[in-house]
Amino acid sequence: MELTLAILITVVGASTPILIAALGELVVERAGVLNLGVEGMMLIGAIAGFVVQFHTGNPYLALLCGAAAGTAASLIFGFLTLSLSANQTATGLALTIFGTGFSALAGSSYSARPVTLMQPLFPADLATHPVLRVIFGYSFPVYFSFVMVVAIWYFLHKTRAGLILRAVGENDQSAHSIGYSVIGVRYLAVMFGGAMAGLAGACFPLLLTPQWAERMTAGRGWIAVALVVFASWKPFRLLGGAYLFGLVMTMELYAKAGGGPLSAVPSELWAALPYLATVVVLVLISIRRDASTNAPACLGKPFLPAN
Amino acid sequence: MQFRLEKRREPSRLMSYITPFAAVLLTMVLGTVIFSLIGYDGLGAVREIFLTPLTNSYKWQDLGIKAAPLIIIGTGLSIAYRANVWNIGAEGQYVIGGLAGTGIALLTYGMTGWWILPLMVLAGILGGMAYAAIPAFLRTRLNVNEILTSLMLTYASVQLIYYLIRAPWKDPMGMGFPQTRLFSEAARLPTIIPGTIVHLGVPIAVIVGIVAWFIMTRSVFGYRMRVVGAAPHAARYGGFSENKTIWLAMLVSGGLAGLAGVLEVAGPFQRMVPGFPTNYGFTAIIVAFLGRLNPLGVIVAGVVLAITFVGGEVAQTTIGLPNAATGIFQAMMLFFLLAGDILIKYRLRRVSPQPSVGAA
Repeated sequence: MELTLAILITVVGASTPILIAALGELVVERAGVLNLGVEGMMLIGAIAGFVVQFHTGNPYLALLCGAAAGTAASLIFGFLTLSLSANQTATGLALTIFGTGFSALAGSSYSARPVTLMQPLFPADLATHPVLRVIFGYSFPVYFSFVMVVAIWYFLHKTRAGLILRAVGENDQSAHSIGYSVIGVRYLAVMFGGAMAGLAGACFPLLLTPQWAERMTAGRGWIAVALVVFASWKPFRLLGGAYLFGLVMTMELYAKAGGGPLSAVPSELWAALPYLATVVVLVLISIRRDASTNAPACLGKPFLPAN
Repeated sequence: MQFRLEKRREPSRLMSYITPFAAVLLTMVLGTVIFSLIGYDGLGAVREIFLTPLTNSYKWQDLGIKAAPLIIIGTGLSIAYRANVWNIGAEGQYVIGGLAGTGIALLTYGMTGWWILPLMVLAGILGGMAYAAIPAFLRTRLNVNEILTSLMLTYASVQLIYYLIRAPWKDPMGMGFPQTRLFSEAARLPTIIPGTIVHLGVPIAVIVGIVAWFIMTRSVFGYRMRVVGAAPHAARYGGFSENKTIWLAMLVSGGLAGLAGVLEVAGPFQRMVPGFPTNYGFTAIIVAFLGRLNPLGVIVAGVVLAITFVGGEVAQTTIGLPNAATGIFQAMMLFFLLAGDILIKYRLRRVSPQPSVGAA
């Protein structure tokens, strides 16, 4: 019981950053833009969050600065792909390379310096019993991620602004001819994606490992991109997908603690498992036929008004 | 006075040649400014990173051996990207190529014979191809996006190194270090200039680039790659199967990444170590774009990126610039290049009083 609860809490911690980043990317892709720079924006958010937490000790400010840094990074991508119609795939890759280098440079004087982890949102009195701890024992980003799942679903399907965003992603020429600013909407979506990726990155030093390490997001941004495909661009499926991956990532702990034949599996295989699972999941989703038909019709295509 | 973008009737060839050089120059200028602003010696950084490797002849051999893998991988990627096949897992294919070569080197440990090295190279190429075949298979049979699968396999390949050198391939005399034993003489790549570290991989890289250029410009294969990338509908109409093109693009780019991997492990490393994945596979993406997806351009771009690698190390020792700065300069080059792409299809036109639409 105690072990199961401990694992559950670890799974939540591992899933939260992926979920937040993937939710951002989902909105970006629904607007018809493919930003492969999530990993880079997460790293920039991670170092920004770390530095602020290190100097101020205020985790909320750290999260905010992580989100701001992610937004700033996303504007590079936005300017190149939206204003200059550069190739989105290549620009996203460039953003990831840039984010990796930038975060490593900014963090070069902060290695091996600890910060304090973010405290749970609710007072400790609420989380005395183990079962209550599973409900009330997390810090702010965990609850934020749940709220965002609902909020983004509501926004996309129940609001006028969400309808416009989807229209821009499904048929940019029509949206343009009705008078909506395709580029404007896409800028906002890209910035939102950047803020979410940056915030997700800041979760790494604040929630998971309380220090800075180069490339500390370790490909989670790419997994987030894959999850959006897996979830067929639907927020609630994203929630399920992110927790599935959180479980895969923490399986190593479970296997080691549980003993038995699983603990004989080489640790490298466990470390490779999330990436291999991503491949498997992408295969499964494409066997189920509806997946690719759900993709926003204008995904990845630059918008050039036909005048 | 305002400027407006006006579509050109035809893409400008001139601009496609000028913009890569402009991107490098802009990176140097803006790099100076940015690094000065954040408190480093900006001018010194740019001087050490971009110029010292060229002016200091002691650094030329480093340039050669850093450029070689970048050119070999970048050539393969340029062919794949031409066909719109987004293999971004070259790093993983490089790793598997290196591991395949290591396997042969360990199997033949202590043996002599001229055949060992060619066998290793063959194994490396096949290893890279096999690893690239996974995303190719998934893309052609199940329509799974090759960007994500090839990248995920890269992360997995790195874990495979860690496992192999920790357990089955571990050097028995290594005092517990996770690495293989030093390859025997017959499994090491010979140096071609006595007294230097310049190994056989350097001329191989140049040959790969030139041969690829001939193939891309003078053969049906090259024509297929270019047509499928530029005009997929026309290509289908002309009888080029899209799936076959994807397979060819993945196998060529994977095979070349594998070749680079085996040359690296047999050349500079001479054993498999945890630090074998050196990001050449990712940097080669920049090389391919900076070389305008043209194998001859890739040779030049490979040297440019090698300059930044060697220069980055110089700047680290001389002015204390963190090594990560190199990555920023490399990414900036790619940003400027991509931004400059718009000048190939559009021209800037000055518009005087009329209401302007701006750069939409």
